[in-house]
Amino acid sequence: MLNTQSLPYCPGCGHRIANQNLDKAILQRQIKSLDIIVVSDIGCCGLIDGVVDCHTIHGLHGRSCALAIGVALGLNDETKHVIAIQGDGGATIGLQHLLEAARRNVNMTLIVLNNLVYGMTGGQISGLSAERFKAERVPEEKDVPFFDLVKLSYSAGAAFSARVVGKGKYEEVINEAIATKGFSMVEIVGLCTPYGLTKMKELGELGYEEIILKNERNCFESKRIEKVSLFEKVSKIESQFQIHLEKPYKIVLAGSAGEGIQSAADILAKTAMRCGLNATKKGEYPITVGTGFSIGEIIWSENPILYSGIEKPDLVIITSQDGYAMMKGRYPEIECIMIDSSISNELVSPKIITGDYRRLAGGKGATMCAIADWLRKEKIVPIDALIKCVSTLKYKEEIMKAITLV
Amino acid sequence: MPAVSLIDASRIITESCVQSGAEVFVGYPITPTNLVYSYSFERFPVALPAPDEITTLQWMSGFSSVGKFPVTATSFPGYALMLESINMAFMMELPMLIILSQRLGPSTGSATTGAQGDLLLLRSSISGGFPIPVFCPSSFEDAWFLTHKAIETSFKLRCPVVLLTSKEMVMTNKSFDTGELVPLKKLYWTAPDEMEKYQSYYTNGKMVPDFIPLGNNQHQVRINASTHDYTGLIRKTTPAAMQNTKRLYEKVIQQAKDFTFYEFQDSDKHDILLVSYDITAEAVRESFNLLHAKQKNVSYLIVKTLIPVANEISEIVSSFQKVFIIEENLTGLLAELYFGNNIPKNIFRINKIGEMINPQEIVEEILN
Ligand code: SF4
Repeated sequence: MLNTQSLPYCPGCGHRIANQNLDKAILQRQIKSLDIIVVSDIGCCGLIDGVVDCHTIHGLHGRSCALAIGVALGLNDETKHVIAIQGDGGATIGLQHLLEAARRNVNMTLIVLNNLVYGMTGGQISGLSAERFKAERVPEEKDVPFFDLVKLSYSAGAAFSARVVGKGKYEEVINEAIATKGFSMVEIVGLCTPYGLTKMKELGELGYEEIILKNERNCFESKRIEKVSLFEKVSKIESQFQIHLEKPYKIVLAGSAGEGIQSAADILAKTAMRCGLNATKKGEYPITVGTGFSIGEIIWSENPILYSGIEKPDLVIITSQDGYAMMKGRYPEIECIMIDSSISNELVSPKIITGDYRRLAGGKGATMCAIADWLRKEKIVPIDALIKCVSTLKYKEEIMKAITLV
Repeated sequence: MPAVSLIDASRIITESCVQSGAEVFVGYPITPTNLVYSYSFERFPVALPAPDEITTLQWMSGFSSVGKFPVTATSFPGYALMLESINMAFMMELPMLIILSQRLGPSTGSATTGAQGDLLLLRSSISGGFPIPVFCPSSFEDAWFLTHKAIETSFKLRCPVVLLTSKEMVMTNKSFDTGELVPLKKLYWTAPDEMEKYQSYYTNGKMVPDFIPLGNNQHQVRINASTHDYTGLIRKTTPAAMQNTKRLYEKVIQQAKDFTFYEFQDSDKHDILLVSYDITAEAVRESFNLLHAKQKNVSYLIVKTLIPVANEISEIVSSFQKVFIIEENLTGLLAELYFGNNIPKNIFRINKIGEMINPQEIVEEILN
């Protein structure tokens, strides 16, 4: 895999030994260069790109593991070996990606070159720096433990998690990692001569345990599944009733979340479509979809509807206190208001109809009950169009009951 | 009247993505793109829930690097997290589609209230002022056609593109005959002519290098997010590397004419022009009708390719005596994109936040 023995690292750098061990492991496994994709990170570890003859992709600081997940899932090919390489700084900022690769057991290898420091920016400590190392440099941090990547990786579900203290020969561990089906992670603790540890013997004195942990699991695959068109999943509505509307008719439903306001708005829009009209339906609700107000805005029109907002409603149906609170001051003029008798109304309109909708149909049926009452009284479209619309619904019984109560 | 469906633009956009050849959806749920997210899991051959938006863009880049076109959908908070990775994909020249649905900010603002507040963020998304193409549907027909064009442009330029929408644009249901939508051509990579040696960013005199997927069995591929030359290897500021970096700007600008879309309703007399995009286009079209009913002669321009700003757009705008730029934001982001902070005296802004601008408000502004 290496295309040169002249590697671009400082004398004594742990990355040099790591590159050589990786190269030997690949030679042992006789993997062809174009079956290897090295995904490299920012930092000295990213210099590997230039010295390998395989595919390379060089991304952002801390993201090589995530990028490698995308490459591995995109290839979805057992003959290809995706090897991400990052430093201890990258592993700290991108810890989530390691956990995600491990929990999905993505078929790839992550090599973390832990030299205890951010080499490129002048030797700052990282989340993988040992306490004893920090005690001398940043005493305030000496009691903060390092992330044990091996245990994290293992407990998140990785097939193979290992740490080596990178003094010399460890190609067998890398070999086993690469041979693993699923996610393999090898942390290699090494020297950074200008900023980190300078002597091999110090490496063994910091409390990094050489360890291999394994999980027997299937790897995650991104299987391709062909699916049907989204347009086939929506019902097509035939026009069955002929009606004439002088001008667009604008309806606002105001009630409480969880009381079927959006479904009622849907039914009203489809009722108009059964009458050959154009319709729009807009919903408004707070972020919590199960509490608070819920508003549905519906426009019916013979002509195409260019603008779907409502400034002057022809009809506002209010079936709960939540909905009423939202209607206060919202519109300067309303042609007609239908309101539940449980609400003490101060809104003004030339026409106000009060009904016992909540008492008759309960909170969930009140709006449909009021809609049926309005259609029977005002006959803007035939009530049969509404009934026809409801009859096609999956859960129609309750709604059908609500629209026959008045 | 043909049988019609009650549908939303999220459904149309998602279907258009898949019919245009997009193969993978990666997403993190966020309002108001929840519908695109859920439809994508129903429709895309591969759909993956990422644990955050940085991961989303990284996975997408991985898929794109091996030749599978990826799509995501988000709103401002998610886009903000994606930003560094979008720069990565831009630098790597990886095509992908990012659907950005605007909502009321700043910060998390009101997730369920629409807005048009992200345009200048998009203009400045790429460090160094490089343009990322931004398409903006203003109708269901646009949602279909423009999504396709966005993906086509992304393939052609080897560049991430954004489809800018907003809450009401992607969530409002309308009666619509999907049978009226023109069939789309599936887009895919075509293998370049046989070559002895492939270098990932060698353009052979063209603006865009040939694409061969990472992991192929014939040629070594090197993809790079750091400054690089045609080899795909890190270079500092060598002439070849700088030439490559400049090309990333030029390839978008030089071809802007090919992917500039707009709707121009010209009334001959170049007195008054209404300019808008996205959801506010609905109000502009209706106010145009209302004004004409009052014998007030106006024209309108609905911009559908917002970035880069093509000369054609500037020429139309500058040919009118009075121009009203209408947007659902506080300060007029499109106006600022076109004119900077020094807005000419003949340019007027109609702005509002918290609710849609309605046609009557536009009519009143024009008549006053
Ligand atoms: S700075 Fe440290 S990590 Fe970087 S090459 Fe030199 S020794 Fe290696």
